[in-house]
Amino acid sequence: MRDFLLGLAFMIGGGVVIAVAQTYPTMPALQFGPSLFPSLIGGGMVVGGLLLALTRVGQLRNALAGPRAGPHTLATRYDYRGLLISLLPCVLIVFYILASEFLGAPLCMAVSMLVLMLMRGARLWLALIVSIIVAVAIYVLFSRYLLIPLPEGTLFSQTLPFAW
Amino acid sequence: MDAFLQGLAMVFNLQTMLVIVAAAVFGLFVGAIPGLTATMAVALLVPITFYMDATPAIAAIVATSAMAIFAGDIPGTYLNIPGTPASAAYVGESYRLAQKGRARETLGTNLVCSVIGGLFGTMVLVFVSPSLAEMALNFSSFEYFWLALLGLSSSIFIAIGSRVKAFLSLTVGLLLSTVGLDMMSGAPRFTFGVPDLMAGINFIPVMIGMFALNEIMMFYGSRVEERHVPVTAKDSVFLKAPGHIKTYWRNVLRGSSLGTLIGALPGAGADIAAWIAYALGKSRSKEKEKYGTGHIEGIVDASSANNSGISGAWVPALVFGIPGDTITAIVIGVLYMKGMNPGPTIFMNGGGQVYALFTVFFVANLIMLPIGYLAIRASKVFILTPRKILMPVILSFCIVGAFAINNSITDIWIMLIIGLVAFVLARNDFPMAPAILGLVLGSTLENSFMSSMLKSNGDLLAFFERPISAALGALVILIWLLPSLIRLFRRWRSTPQPSHKPRSS
Repeated sequence: MRDFLLGLAFMIGGGVVIAVAQTYPTMPALQFGPSLFPSLIGGGMVVGGLLLALTRVGQLRNALAGPRAGPHTLATRYDYRGLLISLLPCVLIVFYILASEFLGAPLCMAVSMLVLMLMRGARLWLALIVSIIVAVAIYVLFSRYLLIPLPEGTLFSQTLPFAW
Repeated sequence: MDAFLQGLAMVFNLQTMLVIVAAAVFGLFVGAIPGLTATMAVALLVPITFYMDATPAIAAIVATSAMAIFAGDIPGTYLNIPGTPASAAYVGESYRLAQKGRARETLGTNLVCSVIGGLFGTMVLVFVSPSLAEMALNFSSFEYFWLALLGLSSSIFIAIGSRVKAFLSLTVGLLLSTVGLDMMSGAPRFTFGVPDLMAGINFIPVMIGMFALNEIMMFYGSRVEERHVPVTAKDSVFLKAPGHIKTYWRNVLRGSSLGTLIGALPGAGADIAAWIAYALGKSRSKEKEKYGTGHIEGIVDASSANNSGISGAWVPALVFGIPGDTITAIVIGVLYMKGMNPGPTIFMNGGGQVYALFTVFFVANLIMLPIGYLAIRASKVFILTPRKILMPVILSFCIVGAFAINNSITDIWIMLIIGLVAFVLARNDFPMAPAILGLVLGSTLENSFMSSMLKSNGDLLAFFERPISAALGALVILIWLLPSLIRLFRRWRSTPQPSHKPRSS
C-alpha cells in the first residue's frame, strides 16, 4: 500500500518537475538547454513511480479486501504512534529555527535535548544536567573556537557569561 | 623524494597525530553504538574538518571511517546487533563465538583482519591510483560523461533490494543536483526565489539530513529500549589471532582483494563487500557445515573485506572524482573545499599532499591496533551508552553542523526536508546510496554531456568515436542489459533439454 502511494507521489512529483522544466530557456546553439536534464529526471520519476505502483496493485487489492478477511487490517497494523513520535526531532528543529534568534542557540538546544531525553524516559535530573552542559559546550566550541555566529538570542544576549 | 618527505612531515606532526587519535576514538564510539553508521560519523565530522588544514581534515575522515567499520563488530559480537551495516554479514558467527566465551578472541581476529584489509586496500590505492591517473589525463568530457553514467548505473544494479526503488532514489539525488544556476546558460533552476539556493544545494546538510536526522527519527519511531550485555568475556584478545590468520591466510587475501574491488565500484560500499565476501568464503570453504554455528573462518573473509572496501572506494574518488561509496561521496566535497580537486591532476601536482594522503591511510589503519585493543577490553562502555541520552546530543550537532557550512538557516531547512524525505524512503526500503551518488555525480554528468554536445554540434554518435569513450559506453550498456541477460540465461538453463533417444540397434 505504502509503495503504491509512494509510486503515485513520484509520478506526481515527476510531472511537476517536467512542467517546471518547460519554463526554462533553451540555448541558441542547441535544441536543448537547462530544461533537458530536469525533464529527463522528471520522466524517470514518472516511469519509475508507475512501475513501483503497478507492482503493488495486487497487494493493494488484497489490502482493500482486508477488513472482510480478518481483524488485522492495514490501519490496525500500522504504528501511527511511533510515526508521530519519530516526527518530534523535526518539530524541535523547526522550534530551533523559529525561536533561536529570540531565545538563543544554547537555550533552544537545551530545551530540544531535554524534551527528547524525557520522551524516551531519561531521569529528569540527568536529562537536565546533560542538556545544559552539552548545549553550553556546543555553543562555546562552535561560536568561540570555530567562530560560527550561532544566534545569541535577544532575550539573554547581555547576560550570558560566554556570549561574545 | 622531497615530496615524499614533505608528505611525511605533513602527517607526523603533533596536530595531525592528535587529530587521527581523536578521530579514531570518535569513529570507535559512533561505530560501536548500534544505529549510528560510519557515514553518519563522517557527515557529523565534516563541519569540524571545515576549519582544519587539508591533511588533518582528510586524516580525520580516514581514521573515523576505518575505526567505525571495525567498531561495528563490537555490539555485533556481544549483542547480536551490528553496530554498522558493514558488520551485519557475519554478526551471527561473532555472537555464537561470544556465547562460547570467545568474544575477545573473535574481536581480536576481527581487528587484525580489519587492519590487514585496510592496509591491503591502501596498497592498491598507492600503486594503482597513479597509473590510472596517468591514463585519465587523456580523458575528455566524453569519457567523464560515461564514467559518471557508469557510477550511477552501478549504484542501481548493485543495490540490494528493488532496482526500481534504487532508480527512484537516484532521481531524487539527480534532481537535487540540478538546483541552482545552470552552469551552461546561467538560468536559475528550482531556486524558488531563495538567494541561498542560487549556488546549488550544499551536500553537507543533505548528508546530515539523510544519515543523521533520518537515524534519529528512526530511533524515536522504534520501541527498542536499553540493553544489557548477555555474554561475558575473559579470554585473550590477540593470543589466538595469529594462528587464525595463519590458518585462513587465503581467506584474508581473498576478502581483502574482493573488498577493494567492490569498494571501488560506485554504489557498493563496505556492507556489500562484507556480504559478498562472506558468501564466497562459505561457498569455497572445506567446512561449510560449521558456518552459522560460530565459525571463525566466516568472520575472516568478511571483516577483511569491509575495511579494504573503505580504502578501495578512494581509488575512483581520487582518480576520477567518482565516489566508490557514501563516505567518499562526502570526501569529494571535502577535497573540493580544501582546494584538492579530485581528478588525475591530484597525482601530478608534485607536492607532498598525495604522499601525505597515502601516509594517512597507513597510520589510520595501523593505529586501529592499539585503540581497537583498548576498545575490546572496554567494550561494555560503548555498548551500554544510553542512546536516549546520545541521540538528542547528536540532534544538536546536526543543527549546528548544518548551519556552520554557510552560516545559513536555509541549510537547516534543507537538512530538515531531506531528513524527512530520507526517513520516508528508508522506512520503505529505498537505498540511500544512489541518491547520494546522484547528488554528487549529477552535475558532472550534466556538464560533461552539455560540453560534449557543444563540441560535437549535437552529434550523439561522438560519444562512441573515441576508443576509451566507446569502451566505457559499451560497459554502461552491458550493465544495463546484464539483468535481462542473466534472466534469459537462467530461463535457458531451467528449460528441460531434449534427451537423446537411445539408438535402436
